Amino acid sequence: MTVLLPEDLPLDAHRRSHSAQSRRYGFFPGCVAKESCKELFNSTMLLADKLGIELIELTAASCCGASVVNDVNRDVARVLNARTYAQAEALGLDDVITICSTCTGHMRAANKELLDSEERMDHANAILGKFGAKYQGTVMVRHLLWLLIDDIGLDRLREMVVRPLAGMRVAPFYGCHIIRPESVNGWESARQPHSLEDLIEAIGGEPVDYAGKTRCCGFHIQLEKENVAADMVGQNMRMAKDHGAEAVLTPCPLCHLALDGYQADSAARWGRTDLPTFHLPQLVAFALGVPAEKLGLNKHLIDPRTIMVERELIS
Amino acid sequence: MAKITLDLFRFDEAVDEVPHRDRVTVEIPETTTVLDALEVAKAEVDGSISFRRSCRSAICGSCSMNINGITGLACKTPCNTVMNADGVVKVDPMPNFQPMKDMVVHMDPFWDKYARLKPYLQPADADSANDRERRVSPDDMKKLVDVANCVMCATCYALCPVVSVDPSFAGPAAIAYAYRFIEDVRDGQRKERIAQISEDYLWLCAHCYACSYCPKHVDPNDRIIDVKRAAIKDRVLMNERGPRHALVVSKTIKQTGMLAETEVILGTVGRFNVRGLLKVTPLALRMVARGKLTPVEMAVGGTAPMLGMPSQKPIPKVDEVRTIFEALEVPVS
Repeated sequence: MTVLLPEDLPLDAHRRSHSAQSRRYGFFPGCVAKESCKELFNSTMLLADKLGIELIELTAASCCGASVVNDVNRDVARVLNARTYAQAEALGLDDVITICSTCTGHMRAANKELLDSEERMDHANAILGKFGAKYQGTVMVRHLLWLLIDDIGLDRLREMVVRPLAGMRVAPFYGCHIIRPESVNGWESARQPHSLEDLIEAIGGEPVDYAGKTRCCGFHIQLEKENVAADMVGQNMRMAKDHGAEAVLTPCPLCHLALDGYQADSAARWGRTDLPTFHLPQLVAFALGVPAEKLGLNKHLIDPRTIMVERELIS
Repeated sequence: MAKITLDLFRFDEAVDEVPHRDRVTVEIPETTTVLDALEVAKAEVDGSISFRRSCRSAICGSCSMNINGITGLACKTPCNTVMNADGVVKVDPMPNFQPMKDMVVHMDPFWDKYARLKPYLQPADADSANDRERRVSPDDMKKLVDVANCVMCATCYALCPVVSVDPSFAGPAAIAYAYRFIEDVRDGQRKERIAQISEDYLWLCAHCYACSYCPKHVDPNDRIIDVKRAAIKDRVLMNERGPRHALVVSKTIKQTGMLAETEVILGTVGRFNVRGLLKVTPLALRMVARGKLTPVEMAVGGTAPMLGMPSQKPIPKVDEVRTIFEALEVPVS
């Protein structure tokens, strides 16, 4: 018997022709990109412009549940997300694009629960019916990272690069929920992912391999025990720095808040690392020619412009 | 047959100051498990190579180790799935444990946390005459079967990033096993057990799903969430940060449709917890200085809830979100 591991799934299983052909996508920015990481939202829109795709923001969508509401109720995240998917369907969209690892994982988990069980789908639709909505089950949730690789393609991206990163050594930092659990994500191997590495290479950087890239940033326990969360940042950034990283690239704003915000607090135990952290669309948009001053790089606590000046990417 | 080279972590705490590595080459079919390869190396090349094993079929849970950077049961890992192009398989002890001899580690911290659970049934009527069966319906038993498959191999504990920086955290296996007793209808210590595991930092789980790599598919990640829900349902230690955080997140989503950051921070740390707030203030100020948060957002987020108002502008059609919360009777405080 052949056992089909999630990483063996053909990529086609995750591709959608409809949205990809029309280049119009439902867009779910998530809470953080609208609150403390507005630079992520802005640089995503600038990147979409460069790519010639239309991201149609689902403005009435709610929070995905943020991995936290599961702790109080087993159904609420599923039904909240069903409401969001119904909104996408009402706009004729079958793709919901996210820019946060946690949104990706939890929205995909909710969708899987709905699509795997008629009972759960009916339960959700019974509640949605109270305000006249219905989820038909046609939506697929994907991260912008996957869209870049599947729908645009690394070759096309390479052609579009006008400002290659001059070999800047960039450490990928995936963020747990875009890869784990594999049964929910499964777009690539959770243990040996390489999409970020491929992307870094395509835009002219040099990816740094280190064990911390698939580990946890500690964001979700920052308010539970600050020092433990800071240690998790320090441990991972120490590994990245020791492997020669000059900067970090993450597809997740929660990881960004942790890595950008807590390196200073972890220095006592792990030594100073001070690695600037880029949001995924910031670095891609820069390579594709979006002016650096439009990317909100000045909003980061560890200023990424220093390394960009050193690398003569900006003056 | 294939030549497979085992690149082994070697260390004997009785004599060695620091570990070293040995390379041992054995000739075996490449579908042989890493455990069997170790057995051949020990029998034919170097009898001092040490590792734990018993059943060789993923039932005893003895042989978890780190194989080419991936922690799991050696008896469930065929060499050809992990060896590199040169036929090398790197074998190390489980991370998060103190090595004793080669792949054998000190398991005490793991067992200590398990022992603290009092991992045996404690019926409410334990003192009464044992004159009848304590029956469990198939539905009640179904909830416990997955966790009962745990073989205590400690793979999840070795993979847990929280344990790696704070060994006081109970770890995934102990929390999953706490669930096994909390949800057992024959047990009479539900609240006490929830309190015990909460005090062993249940809420310090970082939601990272590293424990979803469980070789027996116990998937402690989901059981940890179940135990948190039980804590909120039974209202055990509700004044701790963990339950407060979950509930304030729930509350802000119900009120605004979004997770309102400022209110979540104040609600979790405690609006009147001056020491706690001082700890998060430097980061908040740095964020304001960089324009990540505006002073207006912080002021509104901080004061509006006290006046019974949403801490930020609600999303369009927020009434629909509130309908969902009400239909499911989701707790928000």
